[in-house]
Amino acid sequence: MFTFVGMKFTFGVIATFGLYSVLWRENKFYRFWEHVFLGLAAGWALVTLWIETLKPLWWDKMVGSIAENGNTAEPGFWAWAFMLPIGLAGYFVFSRKHAWVGRVPVAIIIGLWSGQQFDVWIQKYWPQMNASMVPLFPTNFGFRPQVPLDNPVLKATIEQNVYLSQAIGNLIGTITLLSVLAYFLFGIELKSKFMQGTTKLGRYLLMVGFGAIFGSTVMMRFTLLIDRMYFIWIEWFQNIVMGRGI
Amino acid sequence: MAMPETPSTSSLGQKMLSIPRGVWFLLLIVLATVPQFVTMTIPNIPEDSSAALYKELMTLPEGSTVIVQTDWTKSTQGESRGQFDALMRILMRKNIKFAFMSVADPQAPEVARNALKELNLERVKNGEREYKRWEDYVSLGFFPGAEGKGKEIGESMLDAFKASKDKDQSNVERSVLESPVMKGIEKVGDLSAFIVLTGTKSITIALERLHDKVKMLGLVTGVMGPETVNYYTSNQLKGLSIGLKGVYDMETMMQFGANHADSSGKVIYYMKKFTDDIPNWEGKKNLDRGTRYYLTLHFTIGLMIIAVIIGNVGVLLTRKKGNA
Repeated sequence: MFTFVGMKFTFGVIATFGLYSVLWRENKFYRFWEHVFLGLAAGWALVTLWIETLKPLWWDKMVGSIAENGNTAEPGFWAWAFMLPIGLAGYFVFSRKHAWVGRVPVAIIIGLWSGQQFDVWIQKYWPQMNASMVPLFPTNFGFRPQVPLDNPVLKATIEQNVYLSQAIGNLIGTITLLSVLAYFLFGIELKSKFMQGTTKLGRYLLMVGFGAIFGSTVMMRFTLLIDRMYFIWIEWFQNIVMGRGI
Repeated sequence: MAMPETPSTSSLGQKMLSIPRGVWFLLLIVLATVPQFVTMTIPNIPEDSSAALYKELMTLPEGSTVIVQTDWTKSTQGESRGQFDALMRILMRKNIKFAFMSVADPQAPEVARNALKELNLERVKNGEREYKRWEDYVSLGFFPGAEGKGKEIGESMLDAFKASKDKDQSNVERSVLESPVMKGIEKVGDLSAFIVLTGTKSITIALERLHDKVKMLGLVTGVMGPETVNYYTSNQLKGLSIGLKGVYDMETMMQFGANHADSSGKVIYYMKKFTDDIPNWEGKKNLDRGTRYYLTLHFTIGLMIIAVIIGNVGVLLTRKKGNA
């Protein structure tokens, strides 16, 4: 337990207890560990940004590099220096008088981003629209059978057919798509009872979707707790304290 | 004047509603801990998307190169670590070379490196070959502009990573393009797959720019699952693992295979989407965090369902008594 790894894990366990202590009530022990965590995250981000991003992608390109024999390995390009004032201009957002300067780098980023969006939109949604066009009428009124592992002819026959079970699934998908799209028709007044019913159905189906998303989110939060308990009881207590692991 | 009758504080409904918060937390902690000491696989039917992912990974050509965009940190470790371990075990066992990069969080590259170190220790302990940095894998770095980097990767791998450096076997920093991992990779299509493991929207940013240029596979958290699954159904993603269920699917398929008969001739998992026989990893460590956590998750969700029922019944009883 008193090795470097043991101490590291013990420190982690104390931090975990500290952060979970907020469940009992707001306290100084929790505040302490919250600030430790924030400080570590901010410090780490700063160093990583320099080592992994700014140095190789900007500094090294600007100053170049020298080989072991003293010759130039890679020439530097001074024009990269212009990136610095553009980047620093972002901090003018803190000045009331010169806040407009801060909009320059933001405008450049938005411009670059917007330029990509035409292509991105097609790339993103076109295949999804294509995948929404599914057969609604069955060619075989039965359930899709299990595809046999060793019979390619039967496999091909099964895949050519649209089974009733598949057609029902496709119909539910199509109704969901159309009714949810109808719900977002805010530009025109929907007077017909059919359209009002469709938009209402769209709203209910959206709520079903949100419920499913919420369920996934809750599961993920539970998994975080389970992982912390694994860290405390298996990785630390069982492996370090009881000496069954590292 | 008659005073309105107020419900007694000792009524059953009130009691149900006034269970101390500490009791719930204590129960939750006990249920999130005790099942972890039980080694048990619960029955499972792998999702189509997980099965497709397993098939794609298992059919990657040996010795080829993939990019693993690893955008997870400790904040999604419960799900992402299991996904990372399963993914890496498959890639390493198949001798696939990989280059990993991150776009979402500065902590992500180090978290991946540490997890990889542990997996390497496990391999050495089991008598398997150590996966060597530079020879078998490289770190491409952290790139804060996901949109720009995705576009660059789509246009030219040589331009996208010409400034990225990693340490070679003699600890000298060199361009990653000189490494055996990136040898012959000039465009993204030269990769055998582009794999995104994330708890963020970085997968959609990558998909928007690369799905038509390279085979893309995804491993996402439960939160990201519902919005990412569209990309699988539209075939933009060739395989997708979602949340803890996805991890459990991967681990159980690594244990039993897909459409694969065991020594007694019994096929454990029949797949709906394909008929190929995808083998398991006999005698290797396959069941890990996913299996342990999935059982535990059932207990914690059980507690939540009980809590919701108790709360609702408590409210009903209290209102009924109040009305009476």
